[in-house]
Amino acid sequence: MTQPPAPQPAVPHPAVAQPAVPQTTATHSPAIHSPAPGRPSTSTSTSTSVSPTAKSLWRSGRGIVAIALIILAAAVVTLLLSSGQRQGRPLDPDDTSLAGSHALAQLLRDRGVTVHRVDSAAAAEASVRAARENAQVLVTGTAYLSEQEADRLASSRADLLLVGPVPYAERLAPDATTPEGGQDAISRSRDPGCFLPAAVKAGSAYLGGLTYSGPAGAIGCYPAGDAYTLLRYPQGGHTVTLVGSGDFMTNQRLAEDGNAALALNLAGTRPTLIWLVPSPEPPQVAGAQGKSFNDLIPAGVKWGALQLALAVLLVAFWQGRRLGPVVAEKLPVVVRAAETVEGRGRLYRARRARARAADALRTGTLHRITPRLGLPPGAGWEAVVSAVAGRTGHDTGRVGAALYGPPPADDAGLSALADYLDSLERQVKDS
Amino acid sequence: MALTGRAGLLAALGALLVLIAPRPGLAVLGVCLLIAALIAVDLALAGGVRELRFQRSGERLVRLGGQVEAVLIVENPGRRRVRGVLRDAWPPSAGGTPRHHRLDVPPGERRRLVTTLTPTRRGDREAVTVTVRALGPLGLAARQGSHRVPWSVRVLPPFLSRKHLPSRLARLRELEGRHPALVRGQGTEFDSLREYVVGDDVRSIDWRATARRSDVVVRTWRPERDRRVLIVLDTGRTSAGRVGEAPIPLAGAAPQPAGGALPAPGWPRLDWSMDAALLLAALAARAGDRVDFLAYDRAVRAWVSGASRTELLSALVTSMAPIEAELVEADSAGMVAEVLSRARRRCLVVLLTDLNPAALDEGLLPHLPQLASRHLVLVAAVADPRVAAMAAGRGAPELVYDAAAAEHTQSERHKLTARLRRQGVEVVDALPDDIAPALADAYLALKAAGRL
Repeated sequence: MTQPPAPQPAVPHPAVAQPAVPQTTATHSPAIHSPAPGRPSTSTSTSTSVSPTAKSLWRSGRGIVAIALIILAAAVVTLLLSSGQRQGRPLDPDDTSLAGSHALAQLLRDRGVTVHRVDSAAAAEASVRAARENAQVLVTGTAYLSEQEADRLASSRADLLLVGPVPYAERLAPDATTPEGGQDAISRSRDPGCFLPAAVKAGSAYLGGLTYSGPAGAIGCYPAGDAYTLLRYPQGGHTVTLVGSGDFMTNQRLAEDGNAALALNLAGTRPTLIWLVPSPEPPQVAGAQGKSFNDLIPAGVKWGALQLALAVLLVAFWQGRRLGPVVAEKLPVVVRAAETVEGRGRLYRARRARARAADALRTGTLHRITPRLGLPPGAGWEAVVSAVAGRTGHDTGRVGAALYGPPPADDAGLSALADYLDSLERQVKDS
Repeated sequence: MALTGRAGLLAALGALLVLIAPRPGLAVLGVCLLIAALIAVDLALAGGVRELRFQRSGERLVRLGGQVEAVLIVENPGRRRVRGVLRDAWPPSAGGTPRHHRLDVPPGERRRLVTTLTPTRRGDREAVTVTVRALGPLGLAARQGSHRVPWSVRVLPPFLSRKHLPSRLARLRELEGRHPALVRGQGTEFDSLREYVVGDDVRSIDWRATARRSDVVVRTWRPERDRRVLIVLDTGRTSAGRVGEAPIPLAGAAPQPAGGALPAPGWPRLDWSMDAALLLAALAARAGDRVDFLAYDRAVRAWVSGASRTELLSALVTSMAPIEAELVEADSAGMVAEVLSRARRRCLVVLLTDLNPAALDEGLLPHLPQLASRHLVLVAAVADPRVAAMAAGRGAPELVYDAAAAEHTQSERHKLTARLRRQGVEVVDALPDDIAPALADAYLALKAAGRL
């Protein structure tokens, strides 16, 4: 039988083949349920600017600007209101917080003591000279002092009241010694235990911290162990007083015990008290020529660095500005359909489910070879085994064990079973 | 507004100047003021972006795997030249190139920019925005602005199985009797009577007509025409599973882990089913049958009915293009009810779904008798070649366990197929590459047997 050559119809793609023809599916089949209406395949569309104008920027940004202004105003007001009070500076005569010593300074002023708050050693020396050396310098552990400044303070004729761990204390009070390896005494209420009038009148006070022992002629009070937390001794025509810690002078502790009395007795010995506080600027570490590192850098370098930082800012703005928006797209889910089957396989493996695995393999093999043996789908196992054995020439017992036997004892057995089932199937197919 | 690298370079050069200047503080101030002034001048002299007018034209339909040009016409009605960069932003899967265009439009003129789209995914792709960065004459700063120029391109299913259409049409012509081999049985519908010629099957002699005509007359037959075929596409969760190898790589595929043994995800079952549906529709339309199309998961996703023979395929691909698999369990009861309400007369209902025992047991099987009693039902499912490959795994224990799992899945599928066949439902279960021709062959076989 011959076939005449059938005309091979050109099979164009249905919709793409005729691009110029308008898509008129919507009109021809109004029943199309389709989200996009049929549109001509070539058309024009107009544009609208979506860039923000100055007006829209102002409209969208004015709320933020208003909030920023309110925050700024609140910050400025708070700063102005609190600028008179120096907060958070321990043992500062202007600090009214718990750690400050405003109360003590006020009490001293009430008693006619002039309190000078100075923030540098040079100013302290000037004040001492102004008071004609009838003054006492109070140095607390928070003050900054250099070695030379400490020497100059020690050599001045003013009394010294050193509270807490003062820098260069060994130069300010060379005769007072701290016990070797001695630990700081715990701050607590201590009894005077001495005959110093200032301490005896005050009674017990909250003291601790560093402990000192002094030279002959020194009076130690408030003992802690072998040493004293308060030590007073004369040194070259003026008096040096060392106190272990300044807690008793703080606004928090001043009202307790005899703290206030002790503080007034110690600090009010001279008509002028020069209270050395740390300067707001951290001290410059000077080199050999008395110039700090900052002094040695030419001014142009700092300004050049500033200029470079501006350049980096401009480059960041250049690189950071995106050309148009980030385009987000809803993507379809990507899940391979075989994942459930793979998951089942892993479950079999994890649970060593050899019985189920062998059963599945045998079912598959039987499903494939039963029709080839000419047996009905529901054939009994004896019939299948004898048919397979007859077809392949294998031993009936072995075929029966492979097709219907107990599950294999280990994984190697399962592999062997799979291979044997394969060979059976192949031989049945080939026979 | 945007800056260029020149502004940063200028500022960096200014740093050198500051280093050697006698008054560095003033020099910094001067350099900053100078740069600010230059930027301000540049911005003032740059071409206006807001006034630009845009128009689009070009193709709106493209087959997946093809390319389409999106033409953008930029018109500059302003008084200054617009020189700079333009970005025509499209979603990533639209595959627009180039990403940036150089733009130079003198005042009052227009320029034509072409973005070539190579979509990697079916569906509608909408243009996002057109952003223009117009540089000033100094090249220090630029005005930047975006415009919305709506445009969309519909990416149609590729209909790769159309290569199988000529051979199936040849088979169809054989059925129709245009082929010289006129044998009884190649058709079931009575066509006409004609005189007996030697070689005709004696069983087709119409004795009654022979008695009337005093001449031997035979009946001729032809295949049935004007039958109805309703293709139902299940777009539920089982259609999202990816099988086979994607003939056209799909965007959105998870990047392959280095050294991973897992095969790349292929096409969703949905896309393979669409391919098969298109081949069947093309064949049925040529065979003179009327084809309707329904896509359903829990609601009607697409419905094409009453399209003429010439319009059918374009209507189908257009309505198929935006369909995505919904990650919900398909509502089989609703689908059956929808089919029954839409197909009043007996027709061939081709159900493109997955032979998933769990999903079908609770979903379709209880409602199938209702459908099968009124219509001829054909269930077509895409099998997973990966499962077949796993079933052949031998050697290492984990491969054998995987093989057992695959055998289990396959035997479940066989059982389900047997159950469906017992209910009088035709089943086509084929690998992704074979599903379209297999479905076409099943249709031709039904037609030859006169079961439509």
